[in-house]
Amino acid sequence: MPALSSTMTEGKIVEWLKQPGDKVERGESVLVVESDKADMDVESFNEGYLAAVLMPAGGTAPVGETIGLIVETEAEIAEVAAKAPAEPAVAPAPAAAPAPSAPVTPPPAPATAPAPATAVAAPVVAPASTASGRVVASPRAKKLASQLGVDLVALRGSGPHGRIQAEDVMAATGQPITVPRVAEGSGPAYAPAASNGAAAPAPAPAGDAFGRPGESVNFNTLQNAVNRNMFASLAVPCFRVGYTITTTKLDAFYKQVKPKGLTMTALLAKAVGVVLARHPQVNAATSADGTAMAFPASVNVAVAVAMEDGGLITPVLANADKTDIYAMARNWADLVARARSKQLQPEEYSTGTFTLSNLGMFGVDRFDAILPPGTGAILAVAASRPAVVAGKDGSIRVANQMQVNLTCDHRTIYGAQAAAFLKDLAHLIETNPESLAF
Amino acid sequence: MISPNLDAILFEATVPVPFERAWAVQRQLQQRLLDYPEGPDTVVLLEHEPCYTLGRGASEAFLRFDPAAPPLPLHRIDRGGEVTHHAPGQLVLYPVLNLQRHGADLHLYLRQLEQVVIDVMAGLELQGERIDGLTGVWLEGRKLAAIGVGARRWISQHGLALNVDCDLAGFAAVVPCGLRDRPVGRLVDWRPQLNAQQLRQPLLDAFASRFGLVLRPSNPQDGVFKL
Repeated sequence: MPALSSTMTEGKIVEWLKQPGDKVERGESVLVVESDKADMDVESFNEGYLAAVLMPAGGTAPVGETIGLIVETEAEIAEVAAKAPAEPAVAPAPAAAPAPSAPVTPPPAPATAPAPATAVAAPVVAPASTASGRVVASPRAKKLASQLGVDLVALRGSGPHGRIQAEDVMAATGQPITVPRVAEGSGPAYAPAASNGAAAPAPAPAGDAFGRPGESVNFNTLQNAVNRNMFASLAVPCFRVGYTITTTKLDAFYKQVKPKGLTMTALLAKAVGVVLARHPQVNAATSADGTAMAFPASVNVAVAVAMEDGGLITPVLANADKTDIYAMARNWADLVARARSKQLQPEEYSTGTFTLSNLGMFGVDRFDAILPPGTGAILAVAASRPAVVAGKDGSIRVANQMQVNLTCDHRTIYGAQAAAFLKDLAHLIETNPESLAF
Repeated sequence: MISPNLDAILFEATVPVPFERAWAVQRQLQQRLLDYPEGPDTVVLLEHEPCYTLGRGASEAFLRFDPAAPPLPLHRIDRGGEVTHHAPGQLVLYPVLNLQRHGADLHLYLRQLEQVVIDVMAGLELQGERIDGLTGVWLEGRKLAAIGVGARRWISQHGLALNVDCDLAGFAAVVPCGLRDRPVGRLVDWRPQLNAQQLRQPLLDAFASRFGLVLRPSNPQDGVFKL
């Protein structure tokens, strides 16, 4: 069930324009979905055959639910038809985000799924599973394989349900596995600027791309959801405040605790959480109808994570002000792993009250972030780098510094409140990072 | 928010139009944007000859007549929502927009259409209201504007119908929008001097302003869409 609106939680199937067994052309309308007083024709982005209708016309399904299956060849229709009715649990995608957050694409069908069917879930079709020995690979893996001349059939996938990941293709060619695909701050905030691999001419491009030169590639479900959320932010009067934070102490502390499994993301989220608890105005958001300031009951720090096949998701560290930092680091590792395999529950990525976006591990010296809908502020964290710092007394020293940039909804958060929050955050990180571990 | 002021083409009919003709034009305009999504948005403003229309999923239980022998032409069309009635004196606005340029969010789009009507009513010093869960615009418990849209690849058709000085008798033969006990109303009952002709420009202005469009009449390069 595609999301036709950020406020759509379920949709009614008005009509299946195709019947099981019908051929479906790319771009052809397959069904009509109604939500409120709006109808939308839902089209297939792949050519194939409608093999099964899992939710008949007149039925209502939550956004993200698999409502039908499209297969590539006529031969597979019977296979699906034989098994689909007997297995009502066939590939039920978890219901995606209700409101403002980004829905996840439906996960690949479980290994027991009947055939290499693609789920008609959203205007994009999820990759299939492998029961009949067919190749299941991530879009990036497919792209890499074609660029590098790797035969996917010969590979064993390390992803969920044996899905072939980009890393598997790289490994097959003996290529070193490059940039971490999940761009979150589990690495040190400090990154040498020279690590941006412009080194030896590699056969594969160094940066991520979702298409090849000359191609036009449709946004996937998650990318579309992010796009809608970004558009929504255009209706919010935002302003930005920057601050330079000296991180010499934080970096030293991180070095000590890293062997104990602490990550920079956990440290930053904890620091932000603790300071937010003292600055409830910065944790607040303008209500959906714009008439009130909503003060959440808890401090939930969401952290933006880029997805390998496009789009991003914001797993949430709930109660970041109160949770023990070691527990938080473990939670975070688990959230990221499940975000990668698209197994997060909506409440795990839609309940953030404040968002953290960290590009420090790439050596970025400054950036600003777009405010996610339903929240009041997002903090963009850049790299910590050695800098020559002049003291008030005229002294000169070298210290690590990072720039942070807070984007706020001015209806709820004013400049003075944003500045006071940043000042306190800087004070905590600069003078007492050890306190985060207690 | 900075208004993008997109170029948009206005098609306006000065005499009441049969429903089929207006629907055919909308489909042509929709196809044109499907073929060329970067092209300008279009909007059709007209009044209809008396008729009834049903949304694609609409129930015939809300008709108080035999659908095989309707008192006025009856059309089942590709929009959301239940039955409604059109008649001269009701201003009908059919925006054919690439909604990707307007937020790509169907609920937001419905709310924006409601806001256009609320803006028009504010100009008459009337306070139009939304009722949660009942798309449309209301005044003192009466429904003045009905809204229903359809879209393909985010290209919209259908839109809103605002009762200005139309005869409301035709609504008696149906349960408008499937809502029993919710009477329909018309602006002239609050502003007796008003007629539909006077309200055309305010409606277009409110629409253009809400959607950040600059409306211009069609020119020969835009093709001929005979209303």
